[in-house]
Formats: sequence, structure tokens, C-alpha cells
Amino acid sequence: MASQSPSGIFRRYRWTELGLFIIPFLIVILEMSQLLLANKDQTSSLSTRNLPTIQGLIPAIGLIAALLIANMVMSVFFRKADQVLLPLVGLLSGIGILMATRLGPDLNPFPDPALGSRQLVWVLLGIFVCLATLFLLRNINLLARYKYTAAFLGIVLVCTTLVNTLRVKNLDSPTHDQLNLGPFALQPSELLKICLVIFFAAYLSENRDIFAEGSLKFGPFRLPPLRQLGPLTLMLGIALLFFLFVRELGLALLIYGLFLSMLYLASGKFSYVATGLLIFAALGLIGYSLFSYVRTRFAVVGFNVVNWQNWTAKDDRFATNGGLQILQGLIALSSGGILGAGLGLGNPAGRYFVPVVQSDMVFTALGEELGLAVLFAIIAIYLLIIYRGFRIAIEATDTFNQLLAAGLTSIFAIQTFIIIAGNMKFLPLTGIPLPFLSYGGSSILANYIIVGILLRISYNTAVERDGTA
Amino acid sequence: MPLDAFLLVLRLLLIVLLYLFLMQVVIAITRDLRKTAQNSTEGGGQVASILGHLVVVDSGPSSITPGTRFDLETQTTIGRGPTNTIQLPDSFISAEHTRLSYRNGQWSVQDAGSVNGTFVNNQPAYNALPAKAGDIVRVGYIQFKLTQ
Repeated sequence: MASQSPSGIFRRYRWTELGLFIIPFLIVILEMSQLLLANKDQTSSLSTRNLPTIQGLIPAIGLIAALLIANMVMSVFFRKADQVLLPLVGLLSGIGILMATRLGPDLNPFPDPALGSRQLVWVLLGIFVCLATLFLLRNINLLARYKYTAAFLGIVLVCTTLVNTLRVKNLDSPTHDQLNLGPFALQPSELLKICLVIFFAAYLSENRDIFAEGSLKFGPFRLPPLRQLGPLTLMLGIALLFFLFVRELGLALLIYGLFLSMLYLASGKFSYVATGLLIFAALGLIGYSLFSYVRTRFAVVGFNVVNWQNWTAKDDRFATNGGLQILQGLIALSSGGILGAGLGLGNPAGRYFVPVVQSDMVFTALGEELGLAVLFAIIAIYLLIIYRGFRIAIEATDTFNQLLAAGLTSIFAIQTFIIIAGNMKFLPLTGIPLPFLSYGGSSILANYIIVGILLRISYNTAVERDGTA
Repeated sequence: MPLDAFLLVLRLLLIVLLYLFLMQVVIAITRDLRKTAQNSTEGGGQVASILGHLVVVDSGPSSITPGTRFDLETQTTIGRGPTNTIQLPDSFISAEHTRLSYRNGQWSVQDAGSVNGTFVNNQPAYNALPAKAGDIVRVGYIQFKLTQ
């Protein structure tokens, strides 16, 4: 490093990032104080005996301290990395922690007052893993050389899901994507996403010329030659088949969407996307007519909620069994209104309200308590993260880095879209967690790894562009 | 102030703070974009200074005449595609083949993921290799000499 004089360090600190952190810290403290005050309000649904003051304080203060430390560490070692990503991600993590703190004591079958603290532990681990990724990924192109290892790791993770399914034998629950190691419930599919992106990015960047040419012709449609298309479709087919067998529709949709977007980004040919969408529509129709579970999932989407006064007995039964989660979620969203009920003052969780609200339906809980205005702001935050990810991809100097950044951003975007659409009855509900906001350790870790990789790519680009660190 | 009025103030404050934050982020992003635009126009001014040349010494199977000189800039890319600084329409050269950068008085050559490879004095350039005047840079099957 050049000069270590005080004025040099002062000028070279990551001031933009620190300035952007101010409002998130204020929001976290504000919400924490609102939670503690709502504790005192007699009309709130929050059980006073289940939220001691300290348990309300620890998550907020812990997060602020961790983000400040991360900012300092990055200023010392990675000064030139992107400065806008961490504040956005930190704000979402903060809102997620506070929501988990609020929902924990009210959860219905098993109230859990320490949910917020556990979410905080995962976020702290996530920040640590993000920094570790920054330090470890000195040469990102090394990932490209290990692409088949990454693919193999992905297949292993998929196999654990398969084993779990065969063990559980109850194929109607929405997700089998769980690996229980002692007290920790992990979702292997989160790590699988990253492995798949690495494999696709490496493979597509190596064979970019051949894909851009597209020498296999089917009438007006062009496809890459079979020798290159082979490993890609094999990997895609393995993932899709597993998820269709295991009835994880959301993951199948996610992987297929990722495949199409990376193929388009690498080759620039819209005809590949058109072919892919046609195949997807064909497979969807076949699946719909063959498998009953696909029909039941989509039945929720077509269910007429507005006309509730004219429901038949069959509709009533559906509303209390299969469609309960979604309908309660919609009721929560609508009762929130524009301003929301206030954190701690609504009824998102509990015996008669939204089931499994802390992980699958946290968007509806946010809608009920914080309102439409905040929901728009949260969607805007996701859009800004996605924008930043794509910008990091554009500025990257190397095709593999570009495809890796764009692929990770795409999967982040597709995942957010699928779960928000699922919460609003626009698509069938899936087990995919909302990044950073829903309670779930492996989702937080995987998304912080994605943020770490994006920051490292931006750092490498800035170093190469300026010539010095 | 009664508790529920105070809680209402807190709720409104949250919304105001969130949108202030969004505005702050957008301002930071536009400032960033403007700085990048300035950098590239300044870089355009620097293009006028020529830091070296690549002279074809062996054109291999391509149709380039030996002895052709190409000017080099601070950041030069070689490839078949139209976005490259030096565009070589040869079938053994990839869309993006090689990147040359000039930093701190030193040239560095790196392969950009091409099919036929980039070599500096017959050393493969997967990672950036330093190159000085007189070195032979092989792009695909075309050999260039790096000169002043």
C-alpha cells in the first residue's frame, strides 16, 4: 500500500459505503425500539412475556457492529470493491432479523423467542463467509478450471435431496429440500445453485465461439452443435429430472430459467431462448396432464379469491386445507394496507393465521405489518442489488468473470421473482426462500457467498483498470 | 404523547427513512456512472499517445502481409470481433483472443479465453505475462514482434 499517513488513510477510506450505512443503522434501531414499545402496547398480538428486552436489543446491535467491522476490514484490504452492495444487503438482513425477532414468539406449533438471535447468528456467519470468500478467491479463474468438480458437487447435493425424499415418503409436502445435521436444517439446493452457475459460466465462456455460431439448424431455429450442447443438457437434465421426481417445481423452474438466461448472455442469440421457451412450454403441458401434483399446485393459482361469498363446499374445503397458506397470506397482505399495522402490532403469525410464515411467507408478514409503501421499497432494494450485480458483470474484464457475475445475479433475480410471485398467488408457492429476508441459515450463507463473489469480481476489475490496489 | 400516536409516528418515520435511503443509493449510483463516463472520455484523450507496435513476423495460415504494423494503446484487445482494438478476421482467432495492457512502463499480455491460445516467447499466457520490446507474441497462429 502506498502511503500510510493519516490523511492518506482518511482519503482512501470507503466513505460512500459508510455514508450509505447510516440510514440502515437508523432503520434497524428505529424498528427495534418500535418492537420493544409494541411489547408494551396492550392491544398488540405480541406476547409480552415472550420477548425480553435484551432479546430485542441483541440482534440489532450485533448486526450494526458486524457491518461496521466488515466496512473497516474491506477498507483495509479491498478498498476498491463495490461500495453499494453491502449497505443494500445489510439493510435487508436487518429487516430480516427484526422480522424473525418479531415472528418468533408468535409462531404457532412451536413458539421460538430466540428466532431473531438465531437469524442474527446466521447473518454474522454470512458476513464472515462473505469476507472469507473475498480473501480466498484471489484468482477467480481457478473456479473455471474446477468446473467439473463444481458440477459433481452439485450432483452430490441433489442426491442428498433425493435420499431425503425416499426416506420421508410423503411426496405431498411442498419441499423435501432439507438435510438435517443435528440441530441444523440445511437446504442443499442453495449451494447447488452456486455450483451450477460456476459450471455453466465456465463451460459457456470456454465454448463461447461455438455457441455464438450455432451451426445446428432446425428450420428457422438454430442450436449449438451437439458436442457442445451435450454436457450442458446433461447437467440440466439431471437437475430437472431430480426436481421433478422430488416434486420441487420451484427449483426446476429456477434452474431452467438460469440455464436460458446464461445461454442468452453467452451467445447473444435470441433463437436459443425461443427454442428453450418452446421446449419449456411443451414440457409444462406434458407435466400438467400427466402429474396430479402439478395440477394441485396450479389449482391454487386459479382459485377465485374475490368471489368468496359464492364459494361451494369444495372451495371451502380447499380454503382450509390446501390453499390455507396462500389465502391467509393474501388476507395478511390486504389487511396491511398502505401503511401497515406496525411492527409487532399486526397478526401475521399464530394459530389462526399464516402457517410457516417465517420462511416461506415472510413477504406477506412484511406486507401486513409494514405496509405496501415498505413493500415497494423492499422490491426497489432488490432491483438495485440486481442492477449492481449486472453492472459488476458488464465491467468485468474477462468472459468467465462476466458470465459468473451475470449468472449469479440472474439466479438471485429469478429466485426473488419466483418467491414473491408465489406469495401473491401469481405462481404456485414453492419452497424457495426470499433472499436475506426469510429465516433460513443456508439461504443466508449462500446469498452472502454470492455477494462475496460479486464484490471480489468488482475488486479485481477495479484493480486491473487502475493498475494498482 | 399517547403510545399509539407515537407508534404511528415511528411507522411513518420508517417509510420516510427507507425512501431517503433509496434516494441516497440512487445518487451514489449516478455519481458512480458519471465518474465512469468521465474516465472513458479522458481515456479517449489518451488514445492519441501510441505506446508501441506489434509487427507481424509470421502470418501463419492467415492472409495478413508480414511486416504489417499495428498501433498499441494503453489497453488493447485483439480478436475477430468488431469490439476489438485490433481486429483480425482470421478463422483461427477467437472473437476475443488477447488482451495487452501497458502499466507502470511494462507491457502485460493475457489470453482472453481463446481456442488457439496466446503465447509470449512460446510461454502460454493464461495469467498475465510481462512482455518487453523484442518479445514474440503469438496470437493463434500469427506471430507478432512487440516493438517501441
